[in-house]
Amino acid sequence: MDKLDLLIKNAVSRRTFLSGAGTAAAVTLIAGCGGGSTPAPTTTPTPTTTPTPPAITDADILNFALNLEYLEAEFYLRAATGTGLSSTDAGGSSAGSVTGGTQVSFPTAALQQYAVEIAQDELDHVRFLRKALGSAAVPRPTIDLTNSFNGLASAAGIGSTFNPFADSNSFLVGAFVFEDVGVTAYHGAATLLTNKTYLTAAAGILAVEAYHAAEIRSLIYGLSVSSGVSTYLTDANKVSAVRAALGGGNETQITGMNIVACAPTTAIAYDRTTDEVLHIVYATGAGVVTKGGFFPKGLNGTITATAS
Amino acid sequence: MANAETQKVDSILSSRRAMLVLGGTALAGLAFAGKAQAQSTINDSDILNFALNLEYLEAQYYTLATTGKTIDQVGIGITSGSGAAGGTVTVKSNPMVPFVSTVIAGYAAETAGEEQKHVSFLRSALGMSAVAMPNIDLLNSFAALGTLIGVPGFDPFASDLNFLLGSYIFEDVGVTAYHGAAALLTTPAYLDAAAGIMAVEAYHAGLVRTVLYGMDAATPSAGINGLATKISGVRATLDGTAASTPDDVGLGTVSVALNGSSANQTAATVVNADANALAFARTTTQVLAIVYASASGTPGGFFPAGLNGTIK
Repeated sequence: MDKLDLLIKNAVSRRTFLSGAGTAAAVTLIAGCGGGSTPAPTTTPTPTTTPTPPAITDADILNFALNLEYLEAEFYLRAATGTGLSSTDAGGSSAGSVTGGTQVSFPTAALQQYAVEIAQDELDHVRFLRKALGSAAVPRPTIDLTNSFNGLASAAGIGSTFNPFADSNSFLVGAFVFEDVGVTAYHGAATLLTNKTYLTAAAGILAVEAYHAAEIRSLIYGLSVSSGVSTYLTDANKVSAVRAALGGGNETQITGMNIVACAPTTAIAYDRTTDEVLHIVYATGAGVVTKGGFFPKGLNGTITATAS
Repeated sequence: MANAETQKVDSILSSRRAMLVLGGTALAGLAFAGKAQAQSTINDSDILNFALNLEYLEAQYYTLATTGKTIDQVGIGITSGSGAAGGTVTVKSNPMVPFVSTVIAGYAAETAGEEQKHVSFLRSALGMSAVAMPNIDLLNSFAALGTLIGVPGFDPFASDLNFLLGSYIFEDVGVTAYHGAAALLTTPAYLDAAAGIMAVEAYHAGLVRTVLYGMDAATPSAGINGLATKISGVRATLDGTAASTPDDVGLGTVSVALNGSSANQTAATVVNADANALAFARTTTQVLAIVYASASGTPGGFFPAGLNGTIK
């Protein structure tokens, strides 16, 4: 194990230790400081309060993000190459299966190069998070890239089916489904992370997801202008409406004056809670939801179910 | 992998270094506490004011490019929270860009509005602590920078393309500045806001870089990607990383292995990020070197009289 991973591992275990065993640690500390002069306790204190649920650790949050990165990596890798994550990158034999996803035929070199770039970025994010988490990394959950998009299209009023791998324009709409959500998820996680190294890394991924989001949004808009056909722009905005309905608003429809998705009064990007993100990727609204949409068996890790 | 590993360590070390640079005086104060040495710590307001200076710069650039007016002329405050007057803006007469593309004109107007809102938001968050706008130079700064990229007398207000290249100069820097600041902020609400502004700067950067890349693909002979890459090179030289691991990626293509299921493929470099696909972060010292156009951090460039506030 290299020095960095050791450092990261220690940070994870320290955080887990602090959140999970704080009282025990405090007791030990007092006893240690008191030394031999501290009388031994003669009675065992009985807990009178209900134990609080285990706190969400940094590792839980990074694993939540890792699930989303698996999804994005599978989408882009399959679009660019026809093949998804290697077994090693997906977490070995415990990795869930992936349904759907075929190589997209791009009409221009530039469009192909955009797709390849984002595919490599998302693959790098998977690898980075897996390495940072070490043995705590969750494997790829079961992912559905066929029925998920069909269901989304139906909910959005695009049609009864939608294949984002059918052509370049459909691919852009498919990519649009993910990128703004990634931004809001990482933004929401920023203030939850306690380790500064993780915070900086997460902020770096947040920025990259925002680069991607702007790229996809501007390509969709530019395409509608240059081709004179607004079908795909309209479809993307229908997707945006569905995300808003599922994920607590936090959406800006694409127009020539709204490439950036941000709060209209402050121009600050939106953030979403893990619940709001789960409602979107599970494609299911209010209530307790544990699976569906892109993740037919749910996410792997600790953060898998919505509270409401 | 050794290289990626090294970069990861470097990025962590550099973020540590950023904390040490910013908190240097405070740390020294702790070390010599017994001697009652005077302390001056960098607080959240100092960092937000540092950001406010950069937002003044961006807002002026986009507002002048789209309206020909300065931000105070369109109702955005430039005085300090306690009322001290704002500085001057040096810019050519009639700076409104004669946009040919209505699409690019729209992007410019959107960005102008968003940078104005960042100024107003930070001024509101800082309240009485907000610094006034410092003197800003949008004339000599760009001309000097133009010489470094082989375009003497560069005028970002002359055309659609020049305007986009001018934007390119700012946006990635905004991303790295907010990224570097994230771990320094202690108030969760400020951290949340800063992360949200960083994301918007990254949207802007992604937009500008996508449009420039598309223009280059349409007209390769114009050398657009090459100019953008030279700008990235100048930034990395100014901030001291060019000779080791440059913290700035220009526009062009790279060969990537993807998942290894096929031969290497050609990828664009729309995203400005490191080997782990994490956006770069810069220390305040590195950001100052770029906006001052001075590797040693001497005021100049876009801020001829330096920034206002504690970090300058």
